[in-house]
Amino acid sequence: MMNASVETRRVLPAAPVADAPGGREAAGARAGLIWTLVRTDFKVRYHGTIGGFVWALLKPLTMFALLMGVFSFLFASDPNYKLNLIIGLFLWDFFAEGTKAGLTSLHARGFLLTKARCPAWILIVTSISNAVITLAVFTVVVVGFLAWAGHPPSIGAMLLFFAYTAALLLIVVGFSLGSSVLFLRYRDLNQVWDLMVQAGFFLAPIIYPLGILPERFHIYLYLWPPTSVIEFARAVLVTGAVPTLTAHLYLAGAVVLSLAVGMLIYRRYGPRAAEYL
Amino acid sequence: MSAIQVQSVSKAFRIPTVRRETVREHVLGLLEPRRFERLQVLKDVSFEVQPGEALGIMGRNGGGKSTLLKILCGVYPPDSGTVTRRAAITPILELGVGWNPELDAIDNVCLIGSVMGLTLADIRRRMDSILAFAELERFANLKLKHYSSGMASRLGYAVAFEAVREVLVLDEIFAVGDAGFKEKCEERYRELRKAGHTIVLVSHDPRAVTEFCSRALLLDKGVIAMDGPASAVTDRYLSLLTHGNAGAA
Repeated sequence: MMNASVETRRVLPAAPVADAPGGREAAGARAGLIWTLVRTDFKVRYHGTIGGFVWALLKPLTMFALLMGVFSFLFASDPNYKLNLIIGLFLWDFFAEGTKAGLTSLHARGFLLTKARCPAWILIVTSISNAVITLAVFTVVVVGFLAWAGHPPSIGAMLLFFAYTAALLLIVVGFSLGSSVLFLRYRDLNQVWDLMVQAGFFLAPIIYPLGILPERFHIYLYLWPPTSVIEFARAVLVTGAVPTLTAHLYLAGAVVLSLAVGMLIYRRYGPRAAEYL
Repeated sequence: MSAIQVQSVSKAFRIPTVRRETVREHVLGLLEPRRFERLQVLKDVSFEVQPGEALGIMGRNGGGKSTLLKILCGVYPPDSGTVTRRAAITPILELGVGWNPELDAIDNVCLIGSVMGLTLADIRRRMDSILAFAELERFANLKLKHYSSGMASRLGYAVAFEAVREVLVLDEIFAVGDAGFKEKCEERYRELRKAGHTIVLVSHDPRAVTEFCSRALLLDKGVIAMDGPASAVTDRYLSLLTHGNAGAA
């Protein structure tokens, strides 16, 4: 027998057929989906506590303390070494965490693809949200550290810094769009990427100043996208120098290339993603 | 105008002789090309579902029912042919919907509800009703990994029954829960029918199809073997199970 709560439930009247999905309500539902994915992702990752989030901040902070302890002696002649190190580490942490989360995003949320009609790109893009939240907190930490060290950044420098982090975010989004659908076919791609991230940490000038390498090698380091973002961010925040127009065009080109390749792969394999889960 | 129009839909899967799922396996297998077998799951399937109609889909295992449902819901793309959806579809596939085991029931309801097209305000307003329907009010804050499969399925049905907008697509609707919950599902189903919702129901149960559907399709070996009144199609389905031949439509 039915209980009272069931009997009094309001039954939604069927919408007329002409009222196909779409419009303001569909947009509201999509916004709700994005917010719920971001919120629940944060909750799962940090167990819904501020304490859990602090652990995520401690990882690069500990790394910073350790590396500074060791390498500040090696690069004692560079007065800005500590500032460059903290900027490089935090931007790198965002890149590494964002790409790893993006790569496994569709696999991790496969239940939303195989049991319902959920746009795959939303699952991919929202998977990067945790890395973005951490970067936002780190930005406050970095600015505080710069001010404490006597290098408070100007508003112009901060605006350029935000533009560079936005460029890095788009590079991560492009990578995630392509790699997440490929990961469904090649299930060890995350291990391959882990190796590349490990090597990439040393390829990008994070713990060493770019200047210690002969200039003819710089071009190869700049082929690794995080290098340009880290170097440009350091330039505007620490020394107050603005990179050249050519350098900015190069970064814009890297963003466009990453997004274009990622979207091409996504468009090719994305529609059949559910079949590989 | 029909709510759903399926025109000449075909779907095949390429089944490799050797499964390679990693970069390492692909690289090591470069010198050993593999063959693929083509498994034709659906062949030139066409039908329409009218607004307010309850359509049953029957067929033996491997006949293409689940693939057809996934194509109807937009989970799989067809290889050829078109599916025109003129109304919002709410799916309940494979005994309920998927869940995140690390989240509690309330967060999972928010997640699945928003995937099914409900706004967050709608979900919050209906939360008590959803939990009451699933009989899980006491376990609302328990992580889903601690739920039994029956509890998780009950929650799935409760969300979908609340979220349904126009078309409800059900895979084995009455195969979950105890007798009391099945009765509630059936009652809810009747309410939705009365309210004018369109229903597409896949079932192996002749009783469910004859009782809850006005029309049915018999899907066999990827083609529609019969399209007609539910009672006639269930008779043909039982004959197919007994004699192994569906005959012509």
